[in-house]
Amino acid sequence: MEIKAPMGGKVIKLSVNVGDKIAEDDEVAVLEAMKMEMPILSEEDGTVAEIKVEAGQTVEAEQVIAVLD
Amino acid sequence: MKDQGAKMKVPESTEEKIAELVRRNSEAKLGGGQKRIDAQHAKGKLTARERIEALLDEGTFEEFDRFVVHRCNDFGMEKSKIPGDGVVTGHGTVNGRPLFVFSQDFTVFGGSLSGPFGEKVCKVMDLAVKAGAPIVGLNDSGGARIQEGVVSLGSYGEIFRRNVLSSGVVPQISAIMGPCAGGAVYSPAITDFIFMVDQTSYMHITGPQVIKTVTGEDVTSETLGGAKVHNSKSGVAQFMCKNDTECLEQVRKLLSYLPQNWEQKPPAVTCADSPERADQDLDDFIPDSSKSPYNMKQLIKKVVDKGSFFEQAKHFAKNMITAFARLGGMTVGIVANNPMHLAGCLDIDASRKCARFVRFCDAFNIPVITFVDVPGFLPGIHQEYGGIITHGSKVIYAYCEATVPLITVITRKAYGGAYDVMGSKHHGADVNFAFPTAEIAVMGPEGAVNIIFRKEINQAEDKAAAHKELVDNYRARFASPYYAAELGYIDEIILPSQTRSKVIRALTALKHKRTFRPVRRHGNVPL
Repeated sequence: MEIKAPMGGKVIKLSVNVGDKIAEDDEVAVLEAMKMEMPILSEEDGTVAEIKVEAGQTVEAEQVIAVLD
Repeated sequence: MKDQGAKMKVPESTEEKIAELVRRNSEAKLGGGQKRIDAQHAKGKLTARERIEALLDEGTFEEFDRFVVHRCNDFGMEKSKIPGDGVVTGHGTVNGRPLFVFSQDFTVFGGSLSGPFGEKVCKVMDLAVKAGAPIVGLNDSGGARIQEGVVSLGSYGEIFRRNVLSSGVVPQISAIMGPCAGGAVYSPAITDFIFMVDQTSYMHITGPQVIKTVTGEDVTSETLGGAKVHNSKSGVAQFMCKNDTECLEQVRKLLSYLPQNWEQKPPAVTCADSPERADQDLDDFIPDSSKSPYNMKQLIKKVVDKGSFFEQAKHFAKNMITAFARLGGMTVGIVANNPMHLAGCLDIDASRKCARFVRFCDAFNIPVITFVDVPGFLPGIHQEYGGIITHGSKVIYAYCEATVPLITVITRKAYGGAYDVMGSKHHGADVNFAFPTAEIAVMGPEGAVNIIFRKEINQAEDKAAAHKELVDNYRARFASPYYAAELGYIDEIILPSQTRSKVIRALTALKHKRTFRPVRRHGNVPL
């Protein structure tokens, strides 16, 4: 299960670490775009297997932020 | 009714004639027979008749054309005739109001559409328009009855044409409760709302086998056109339901918000929730930072009659909320940006969703209440290549064309062209409110200052300080509702806690709104 950026913008915060157990609707990261800080929420329960970006990084729409097991 | 005639005893006495009718009726009610009914149940599906019973008020169904059979004499079809021919049609009531219905019977020839099948459907569609009552179609069909050739296609065409001519006359609702493939998809597509049952229904133009042959792609019907796909990706369907029973309950619920036809007002219900109820929570609902998102859905639920919020297309274009609700017992359509998704930006999907909903509301005398928090249109190549110009203009068209009461509440951002688009005064809104947290301007302060004061900032000794001062000045002057209020673009700046009573009072004042439009054949919506 991949968690992707819903739109292009800057990742201003990563809210989880690899190994964290998270539930549906938990905040995975915060994206700044259109002068708005938007939480990126998990769509499923799972364990964070991988984080693909760093805080401060600019991402494109649909870019993978994290991977859940 | 297989092999009827020869061995059957011809009824002579009245008693025998009555017994004959009873026998024929009970035979017809079995559709394709117990074995196929069991197979239908094994898939977790109800039969065509069980669905009608679940949809209508108990015991109100009146059936038409129970003994209709096909007239096909090719491919051995003459040996197999089943009364009803694969569709159950008639009328009944929902919440005490008349409704016409057809329900495709998968147990009879796979619910495939024959000439007589189409004639039965057309008969109830025609009656619905004459009677000014909604029509609901329950779809569960393998498609055209191939043995009938072009007769079947002709029938589809007759149905599509009726869908088009009934559009905006009576509400048309489709529930997809099994297969719906090929040309069959276009009848539901023209209707006002599509419900789909998760896992047991699908809709597509060309099926997995054809796709495999033509493009080599491997897909299942579910991934190609299941309920999730059409509710979240394509936007073809507006409601996703767990099973048949839930689906039919939801159809009943939707109908409770709608008028019977375009000439009537939606039914008013008695409202236990006081129209004057103030919600103090709303006064600190909007975050201090205009960068922080909040869930617009929660705000709306605090304003409308308790428990009346009923969202359509909730899985599609989540940056745009479209819902039915009640205010003081009156049905309204709610349109709102949701800053929780895509920053609340307008994009192609959100525009399509919004425009179609506003046009539905306008067709059926449902006032539109718009809650605005929009930073602008979503920038990007995909949006431009995808035709955001055309799709965005649909929203303009829908609002400008609407003659129902239009009330707009700007909760926070209303920037750029998106300000105009979202139910602005200039597009014909009747009453426009703003919260004190509203920011109504051409663009955000930073961007505006960079353009207007480029020279001044470059010439300043301390560029950062100069920039900050200019931004602060701009914000004070323009990133507020007061400039728009000075111009009369906003009728009143309201306390958020009073939103409910303000909107209901405006709605009451506008109850008998009349507008006049120039005579024309019809406009040309940027489709």
